[in-house]
Amino acid sequence: MAFCLMPAIYLSPDTVLAQTAPTEGMKENTARVHAFIEAEIILSPGNRISNGTLVIRDGVIEAAGENVSVPADARIWNIQGKTIYPGFIDAYTTAGMGKSDREVNQGNISWNPNIRAQLSAAAEYLEDEEEVAELRGQGFTAVLTAPPLGIFRGSAALVSLNDREVAGKVVKENIVQTSGFRRSPGLGFSYPTSALGVYALMRQTLYDAEWHREAHQAYQENPSLERPELNSALLALNEVITGEQPLLIETSGAEEILRAYSLSEEFDIPLWIVGNGHEYQILDVLREKQFPMIIPVALPEKPDLDTPEKSMNVSLADLRHYYLAPENPGRLEKEGIRFSLTSRGLDNKSNFLKRLRGAVDAGLSSDMALRALTTHPAELLGVSDSHGTLEPGKTANLIVADGDLFESNAKILDVWVDGSRFAVNKERRTDFAGTWTVSVSDGSASGRLELEEKSSGGAAGSVTLNGIRTELRSVTLQDGASRIRADFRGDRYDLEGLIRVTASISGDEITGWAEVPGQGRLQWTGRRSSAAERVEDSARTGVNRNLTLSNIRPSMEYGRESMPEKPETILIRNATLWTMGEDGILENGDLLIRNGKVAATGTGLNAPGDALVINAEGKHVTPGLIDAHLHSGVAGVNEIGNAITAEVRIGDVLTLNNIWMYRQLAGGLTTAHVMHGSANPIGGQNQHIKMKWGALPEDLKIEDAPVTVKFALGENPKRVGTDRYPETRMGVEQIIADRFSMARDYETRWNEWERNRQGIPPRRDLRMDALRDILNGDIIVQSHSYRQDEILMLMRLAEEYGFRIGAFHHGVEAYKVANELAEHGAGAVVWSDWSSFKIEAQDGILYNARLLSEAGVLTSLHSDDSQIATRMNWEAAKMVRAGMDPEDALALVTINTAKILGIDHRTGSLEEGKDGDFVIWRGNPLSITTKVEQTWIEGQKFFDLREDRTLQQRIQKERSELINWILEEGYE
Amino acid sequence: MRKLIMMCILLFTARAGYAQAPVPAPLQQQPIALTGATIHTMAGEVIENGTLLFQEGVITALGTSVSLPDNAVVEDLSGKHIYPGLIDSYSQMGLFEIGSIEMTLDINEQGDVNPNVRAERAFHPESRHIAIARSAGILTAISSPGGGLISGQTAAMRMEGWTWEEMTLRPGVALLINWPNANSDSYEENLETLQNVFDDARAYSRARKANEEGGSWLAMDTRWESMIPLFTKERPLLVNANQVQQIQDAITWAESEDLEIIILGGRESYMVSEQIRRRDIPVVITTVIGSPGRSWESYDHQYSLPARLHRAGVRFAISGSASAPYAHRLPWEAGAASAFGLPMEEAIRALTVYPAEIFDLSDKLGTLEPGKNATLLITTGNPLEYETRIEQVFIDGRKSNMMDMHRQLYQKYREKVEAAGAAAQD
Repeated sequence: MAFCLMPAIYLSPDTVLAQTAPTEGMKENTARVHAFIEAEIILSPGNRISNGTLVIRDGVIEAAGENVSVPADARIWNIQGKTIYPGFIDAYTTAGMGKSDREVNQGNISWNPNIRAQLSAAAEYLEDEEEVAELRGQGFTAVLTAPPLGIFRGSAALVSLNDREVAGKVVKENIVQTSGFRRSPGLGFSYPTSALGVYALMRQTLYDAEWHREAHQAYQENPSLERPELNSALLALNEVITGEQPLLIETSGAEEILRAYSLSEEFDIPLWIVGNGHEYQILDVLREKQFPMIIPVALPEKPDLDTPEKSMNVSLADLRHYYLAPENPGRLEKEGIRFSLTSRGLDNKSNFLKRLRGAVDAGLSSDMALRALTTHPAELLGVSDSHGTLEPGKTANLIVADGDLFESNAKILDVWVDGSRFAVNKERRTDFAGTWTVSVSDGSASGRLELEEKSSGGAAGSVTLNGIRTELRSVTLQDGASRIRADFRGDRYDLEGLIRVTASISGDEITGWAEVPGQGRLQWTGRRSSAAERVEDSARTGVNRNLTLSNIRPSMEYGRESMPEKPETILIRNATLWTMGEDGILENGDLLIRNGKVAATGTGLNAPGDALVINAEGKHVTPGLIDAHLHSGVAGVNEIGNAITAEVRIGDVLTLNNIWMYRQLAGGLTTAHVMHGSANPIGGQNQHIKMKWGALPEDLKIEDAPVTVKFALGENPKRVGTDRYPETRMGVEQIIADRFSMARDYETRWNEWERNRQGIPPRRDLRMDALRDILNGDIIVQSHSYRQDEILMLMRLAEEYGFRIGAFHHGVEAYKVANELAEHGAGAVVWSDWSSFKIEAQDGILYNARLLSEAGVLTSLHSDDSQIATRMNWEAAKMVRAGMDPEDALALVTINTAKILGIDHRTGSLEEGKDGDFVIWRGNPLSITTKVEQTWIEGQKFFDLREDRTLQQRIQKERSELINWILEEGYE
Repeated sequence: MRKLIMMCILLFTARAGYAQAPVPAPLQQQPIALTGATIHTMAGEVIENGTLLFQEGVITALGTSVSLPDNAVVEDLSGKHIYPGLIDSYSQMGLFEIGSIEMTLDINEQGDVNPNVRAERAFHPESRHIAIARSAGILTAISSPGGGLISGQTAAMRMEGWTWEEMTLRPGVALLINWPNANSDSYEENLETLQNVFDDARAYSRARKANEEGGSWLAMDTRWESMIPLFTKERPLLVNANQVQQIQDAITWAESEDLEIIILGGRESYMVSEQIRRRDIPVVITTVIGSPGRSWESYDHQYSLPARLHRAGVRFAISGSASAPYAHRLPWEAGAASAFGLPMEEAIRALTVYPAEIFDLSDKLGTLEPGKNATLLITTGNPLEYETRIEQVFIDGRKSNMMDMHRQLYQKYREKVEAAGAAAQD
């Protein structure tokens, strides 16, 4: 049916053999044989033929070379001076996937609207002619296209950008399953609502796919079992979990690439990663992993530096990224990381070549640029037998350009796809520029017509008649008809109004007529007396990129050029040493660190000659401070898509660019317990980290820390949404109890399966796994709480299920149940003095930690606030105001905290065998007049007050250089 | 732990008094002489082993040789320190109870232009936060409305008394305006609104004057009426401005309008400190313990702001956040500046001398001098230091009850802990 709608009948006759649609009307049988002669042919990257011939027949390259004879049936294209490139392949697009959000709500789909693995790009494809023309205009002849929505999005297909029926476009389908770390808001607001939840759902889905496979195997072997669900999305992931098909993950930011690696490690699956322009920040990791990369050429928006005031609000991270982003492909090339390029991320696909050339100007070699658009994607997509080069036997996908596409601003003239021509930029046929000597036929006037080509491609000029010159008002060229039109004012020739001229150009002759006000139409003729100078418009002046930026991670203010040195032996001498262990406070105390661990504390210690000795006379040294409750440096805090989300993990979403970490180090913080938010009665799993500024997220984690989970009681979990259970403290208690019971049943079912392996295997449920571990004491509960009733409730509930709560956080009224806490064995992690910001906080008192300590509760302070975490010593100092002994007060942010978090074997006090985490203070850490001079973690110095001043100068210098560069050279 | 319990006994001598609410102190009946203490007058030299005498709420003498009236109550304060009471230059005391409960908040009146509303008239004497501030040494608070373009009139309130009337030290000490956000696209438009308000108010003020001098009748406009003292410079404008452009534009504007201004916030005031110093405009710094707003700024950007202004010769007070429940943190807000370059003496002045000067309360507060109010602290040391205990305060000579909600609840639940301990021993 749609056959007759095909428009470009002449240039792309549909005489394709391999098609099923019946012919209608007269059979179109123009020979599909073309010979390009006298061409510069880039046969494949690095293989260039000058003055060669390329022959294509029926959509396939027949011959290419210098001594190729032109077949008799070929249409001949003399393209002297032009260059032929292999057609580009875009390794990741959503071409033809439609612009609107479409929910799939029929068929045997996943329960979760963001799991759409069953979709197939080939089946979904709906041509958007404008989009395809735009892509072809940039030299693309085939694109990988993938369904755009959801987390698991469906399988991608390679589509040829010809103008046939969809079936005639698809080169290969089901190439790769695609996914991304973002939910699609258009698919409805449901779990997951956060990066945390997305990652958990990806894991769960892959486990579900494994289970689905096994369950169906079991069912096939024994059809008398209860039939497991047959789920198209899980079925579609079969080949992914077996490793037969790679998983493509689209990323945003460097952290998501790291997150993708974690996923691939857990499931041992191969990945393709669609990058995001920040790859240069983690080249070391990429080089090690060697997963195929698909890299965008899109660039960040220009920072807003309109006024000096606005400039102040631009971060160094943004300034640096703006400068460095064009270098991204070039840097990948230099590191030997294999990649393909994509137009993904460009708001306007027509900017692809411009951005590509920007990348070449910024260090990408032309050769690699071409590879990344031809042979690399062809190999990645498994079509290198048919695509990627112009060797005989390959698909006739090619680009005809009027010069070097990479080194100059050459234009693409035609793109050929599957042997069919698509004109992109017409070459000018009419050479109109020059000086023409003209005369009116009746002899009334004669003179000169000067015509020139403007850089925009238009025309302009002037006319001089009888010695009087007038600018032409508008000049238009009808190129295909060799016609030029213009008009000019007649007042200088004593004529009123406009004189309008039209003429036809043939070689050096011009013949036309003019409409003259009051005189009717006059005929005129002319000859070219001199040709215009030929302007080379395709030459490109490179951008001045003369800045030398520091090579730092994170790529922002205070980033590190390398991780700090780790001296084998360090001796801190003569300090007031707060060991926070049995030795108490040592005056003139020495601290010996060996290989990052505390080797000894005491007085008059000796160290080997090569030890780093720091004289800390007059200074105080304490263990590194610990914050038991922090939310900085994460890509998501709360997963609110369900009241119970014990499966989500903060450790999955730690960020790289966390300026708070540096500020917290400057306040002596070395360890933090980064927590899930308080939206859910049972929230997600928390993460213990060391504040190793400059390290990758994975390297921040304290590997032997116990797993902890966030619970939340009171107002916060009640008030999420209007239709989410629970809405009362009674409901909070009941839903927790209900899930505990579910977890018991879950464990029983698994135990039974482990014993007899009969029937359909149980499904691994990450949420239930976590709940089971809570009940068994393998995951420690750290519960957000305010009022005494809810604190008591959770203790009693835990006791009913046979386990203990690790600690109550905030615990604004914990002091009211201090003896109950002590008896239960729960710790208390409280604010120093927060109060009255909501009704459940009205009885918050400064003496909370003190009374808890007096009652024998293991007590700690916490920040729950990025700023407060920069000065936990002063939080402890408030407890001195509240009447606590100074050493007991400092314990609230060191050893007590470590004990509550289960990491006191590593940190919290300066005792032999523990990590060398310590802080050198200018004076008493509990004084208002003190500040940090140095912060050390595991024997490495991560903050130094003097270095900080040097860094500030570096930042100021780099900022002003970058701002200057952007103002003078910045791209749009 | 033993030390802890001892301190607990030291700290709260009035044990088991939690059941009764603290009662406002009676007016000073007899002369009181505080002897043997180190007196930090903040007006010059520190007086060692000095005597401070006050009668009817006013300091009558201080020094090392003060002759005492026969009926004076003498308190031996050997080893103790006496400081002027601390002043919170920007507070929502009395207007704020529980943050998330709208009905307990009296901060933001409807609409953008509320020059007529007066903080003292809504001040809630029963607020739990008053006693908490008082026992931490904050004896005066500039209580302030908020929100909109012109928020309303602030009042200097004493943290002692039965009613708002009794607690009002001076009403209308300043009119708070929120300078429009200079980063907003509608900045120019908002400036025009501000200008229109002041033009209208000024016209009204002129008409009123003409009316008083026998001119034509003028209908009362409550809003413009309340702004007259601005034009006679009897009342300064407290201009909430943090961005450098806001600060500069406010100064230029105030100059062209011939108004007296105080900058509130002043986060970026260090960038134009020369301009501020030259025009002798005071700044009320609202954040010292804070982190920088921009990632390129130094970690101690806020902490070092007072030191930078001090070096530049700018006059300033330190207020900390306005939040009423956290007024007790004020000493630490100022003290933190001393860790980052501000001389400690200046940090204390920023809570005493300077706010008294800035809000025209120097006749009553700020230093310990004869003729000034006997509003003072008896401490174990520097009131800005964590380890220091504020043992007693006097407000206008009234010996305040040192009990507060924090201490009451501590004592109450301490009994529960002790009972449980006793039960365990039985």
